[in-house]
Amino acid sequence: MYREGNTKKIILISILVISLLALMRYTEFGRVSISPVESSLRDILAPVQGLAMNLGHRLRGLVSFPFAVMEMVNENQSMKEKVAELEGRLRQSEEFGYENDRLKRLLDYKSAVTPLMGFEVTGAAVIGRNPGNWFGTITINKGSDDGMKQNMTVITEQGLVGRITSVSINTSEVLLITDPRSGVSALIQESRAPGMVEGIASSPGRVIMVHIPIEIDISADQVVVTSGFGSIYPKGIPVGRILETGKEPSGLFNNAVIAPFVDINRLEEVMVITTVRSSNNITRFSGLPSPWGEGGFDQGGLNPEGIGGTPVGVNP
Amino acid sequence: MRLFGIIFLLGTAVFLEVTLLNFFTILGVKPDLVLMIIVFNAFLRGSREGALVGLLGGLFEDLAVGSYFGMNVLSLMAIGYLVGLTESKLLKESTIIIVFLAWMSSFIVQVLNYILLSFAEIYVSPGIALFRIIIPTATYTAILVPIFYGRFYRSNKSGWLNGREI
Repeated sequence: MYREGNTKKIILISILVISLLALMRYTEFGRVSISPVESSLRDILAPVQGLAMNLGHRLRGLVSFPFAVMEMVNENQSMKEKVAELEGRLRQSEEFGYENDRLKRLLDYKSAVTPLMGFEVTGAAVIGRNPGNWFGTITINKGSDDGMKQNMTVITEQGLVGRITSVSINTSEVLLITDPRSGVSALIQESRAPGMVEGIASSPGRVIMVHIPIEIDISADQVVVTSGFGSIYPKGIPVGRILETGKEPSGLFNNAVIAPFVDINRLEEVMVITTVRSSNNITRFSGLPSPWGEGGFDQGGLNPEGIGGTPVGVNP
Repeated sequence: MRLFGIIFLLGTAVFLEVTLLNFFTILGVKPDLVLMIIVFNAFLRGSREGALVGLLGGLFEDLAVGSYFGMNVLSLMAIGYLVGLTESKLLKESTIIIVFLAWMSSFIVQVLNYILLSFAEIYVSPGIALFRIIIPTATYTAILVPIFYGRFYRSNKSGWLNGREI
């Protein structure tokens, strides 16, 4: 009796195992179609499954919400810090980029223009400005220890900035061409008309050229360069472009309002001309970058001893 | 303590005028922060301290300018004294009064500077001086007064600028 029961059990288990193995085999991964039973079951259970899953998600969300909030707060804080840090780095990188561009232009100028003009220059950074509104002076970070001397000419790659008026050990004060105390002996490049470029108090980046001989025609857009007379400013440095012309009250001379090539209000780095040597290679000036080559130094009507053609000597 | 506070404020104002304010110019001019401090102080403390703080402020400015030493000392000391005369006569809580005083003070200081400059043989056309420097500077300075006066007034009453006369 007992043996008969055991045999039945063994047979049943064997059938079950074999059926399950067959079922496994039948329902293996990758088959193309499923059975109608499976299909019906899936269809019936699908909404319930979805509901259960949804509920599960909500419950999980509900239970873990406070923890998630805490985690999010921490994460938010650290992300804010990260963003601030990255923004700082980005700004710093942008600033480095701008500085790099400016210094590259200065370097390009130094290597391309100064040998042709016969200048030896030293770079300096602008560290301060006159606190009032009457004068236009800047302070640069090079002084007598760096070889700076009174009356040395200060330029950028765009043109004339001014001249050094006083020197301390580590700094120098530069009188800008826009200062009312400034006077620069200049020429209109095209017509060679001489005149004096003077600053205008508090003018937003304008200077005036006075005492231009009345018999010489002048017009807007003409370029003004230093004439070299008076030996403070070397010859041939671009000053600016004529905006408008007029007659002086005496009627004996013309005058012209000039927009300087240099953005006087946005100066950050400048160059000081420490030495001026002879430069006779006048034809090469046509290859100079703007505004140094503008107007054509080597074009018709110009004195071949014009711009940069005469030794100015060492600045005082 | 009060003296150090005033010196610190004047020093900061001059530093800002030499550096940062150059990026905030309007019509080519920047505001006169040093004058603003002198006017506030004179208005709240009277002519004696007004003149003294004016002298200090002028000294700071002249040191920063590096030339025509004494020009700012003279003009700012005078304006400190003059504004100080109004101390007991005008309502100190009124922003409109102090804005007007600052405008007038800046105007007078710039005119004084203009006259002193001509003594130093610096000639600027009167039209340019008036419309490009004097009026724009006075207006720009006066516009900024409401931003700073409240803080200065409270500090003078119960803050770190409170205390005996210098």
